Amino acid sequence: MTTRDLGFVALFAALIVALGLVPAVPLAGLPVPITLQSAGVMLAGLLLGPKRGTAAVAVVIALVGLGFPVLSGGRGGLAVWVGPTAGFLFGWLAAAFVAGTVAMRLDTEAHAPGVRLAGLIGGAILGGIVVLYAFGIAWLTFGAGFAFPKAFVGSMTFLPGDIAKALIAAFVTAQVRRAFRLERK
Amino acid sequence: MIDGLGSTGTTPLHRLPAGVKLAGLAVIATVLFVVREPMVLTAVAAAAIAVALSTGRGVAATARDLALPLGLVAAIGAVEWGLGDGEVAACVVPRLVALLFLAHAVTLTTSTAELAETFEAGLAPFERLGLIDAGRAALTLTLAIRFVPLIVEEAREIREAQAARGLSIRPTALIVPLVVRVLVRAEEVADAIDARGFPPNKNSNM
Repeated sequence: MTTRDLGFVALFAALIVALGLVPAVPLAGLPVPITLQSAGVMLAGLLLGPKRGTAAVAVVIALVGLGFPVLSGGRGGLAVWVGPTAGFLFGWLAAAFVAGTVAMRLDTEAHAPGVRLAGLIGGAILGGIVVLYAFGIAWLTFGAGFAFPKAFVGSMTFLPGDIAKALIAAFVTAQVRRAFRLERK
Repeated sequence: MIDGLGSTGTTPLHRLPAGVKLAGLAVIATVLFVVREPMVLTAVAAAAIAVALSTGRGVAATARDLALPLGLVAAIGAVEWGLGDGEVAACVVPRLVALLFLAHAVTLTTSTAELAETFEAGLAPFERLGLIDAGRAALTLTLAIRFVPLIVEEAREIREAQAARGLSIRPTALIVPLVVRVLVRAEEVADAIDARGFPPNKNSNM
């Protein structure tokens, strides 16, 4: 890992934290304060690639364990590492990795613009929703002892928001890459 | 904003070793999420605010540092209360307030160099196992902590600039310029680190 990679990993970890601290856009008709933190995780994979994206998430998870209030709304501490939602936290590693791998394959010069955008959206959804929810629901069921239907239905309430965030992450990636040349790795 | 953090000082918290502060923060953060007594949590939150103010940062500056996350905590509390979960709100709000002020007190009173050294010492066992390069991993953690307030500040600036120009505040309109600024700054930071020859790359995996 070069110093440049170290800089990208550290500052993207800081970006993921910052996105969880800034009250995001008030969405009409939605009473819950939404942050774009999970969009930041998808972005880390989509923009930096699987290795560096996963490393940025690992830094955030380490800061959680150290007790820094880095998760959305200021949560943090080792309790989160072992709490009922720990699967969604550690699942971020796989989410960034999968999103980054898909983006690296499909968002290249070799593909048509439509394929590239579809690759970014697909990567964000596959990593940030399918894979992430698999980890999250598995831990809710086997680690925290919730009945599977309850864990599944409870998690699904976050689906509309997460689909919106996957779309945001994909469009942001496409726009940022027009302004900043960055190779994925 | 960043230069105000990790500044030098002589308060008791400044003199406490960084390792003690980090260990204390980790323990308190863990305990806070197990405690479900609103009275106890409120007392801890009050103590945390007192600790943060003992750093000499001043009430106005501290309030400005934490305005955005505190606004979010207030919103979370309002939602819980609105859902008829007054008891949950009475626990969640003081718990998050306590954690925010305590962590802020740690970053306010610990220099970047001290933070990096402490992380490096803590990560040394993992380096001996050949898992990571402790120096570079510690630098990555330290940089991440240092740059959070700066990025929050930049997000606020972008939003204010766009509001002033009458642009709608769509999520992509905020994040695209923010991410570009973060990437540019990451390259500047990397160049600055290389120019100082730190840390030596030991050719091991991060």
